[in-house]
Amino acid sequence: MVFILGTNFNEARLVRKTLQSFYGVGPQVCARLLARLYIHPTARLGSLNSQTVLDITSILSEMKIENDLRRELRENISRLKSMGTYRGKRHAMGLPVRGQNTRNQTNSAKKLNRVERIG
Amino acid sequence: MRPTTALFARSVWKGPNIVPLPIVRPAPGQKTPPIRTKARGATILPNFVGLKFQVHNGKIYHDVTITEEMVGHKLGEFSPTRKAHRHIQTKN
Repeated sequence: MVFILGTNFNEARLVRKTLQSFYGVGPQVCARLLARLYIHPTARLGSLNSQTVLDITSILSEMKIENDLRRELRENISRLKSMGTYRGKRHAMGLPVRGQNTRNQTNSAKKLNRVERIG
Repeated sequence: MRPTTALFARSVWKGPNIVPLPIVRPAPGQKTPPIRTKARGATILPNFVGLKFQVHNGKIYHDVTITEEMVGHKLGEFSPTRKAHRHIQTKN
């Protein structure tokens, strides 16, 4: 088991997949992080030495990820709502915000757009 | 890497959309009528803060009081153009 940022991960897991399991770390941020620490893109967690794991943890803890990022997102939406903008209202109604059609499917908007957005 | 999408909105060389509006600074103790405008695309500038606008939505003028956090947005964002659909039951 490898301990990164408060979570235990299986050693057989890809480092790439592990990093991307954090909210706010996608393919691009992950690729840069791996390059910075000289980790091969197909490396697994078991192949890392303990110093690298510590480096990963320290870098991730400095970044704005997980709950901090979610909170920022929610603050941005609630700011729009309290100002009374069109975008804030569309978030509150769960409808598309950027002028997409609403005649047919608006599935992503229905799932995601709300004032207390989950992620 | 892609730059932030906020930059895609408008060319930087154009600067913000500054529309010449008839802004009259009220003398203390005096009241001025709100500024009627149809310029929905006008960027809210820092010197608008505290003023009252009436922004056209295509049909009527909506009252908008500018606060500090609105700076950088457009006037039209605060004047909704769409009406929510309501089903009205027909007689018989």
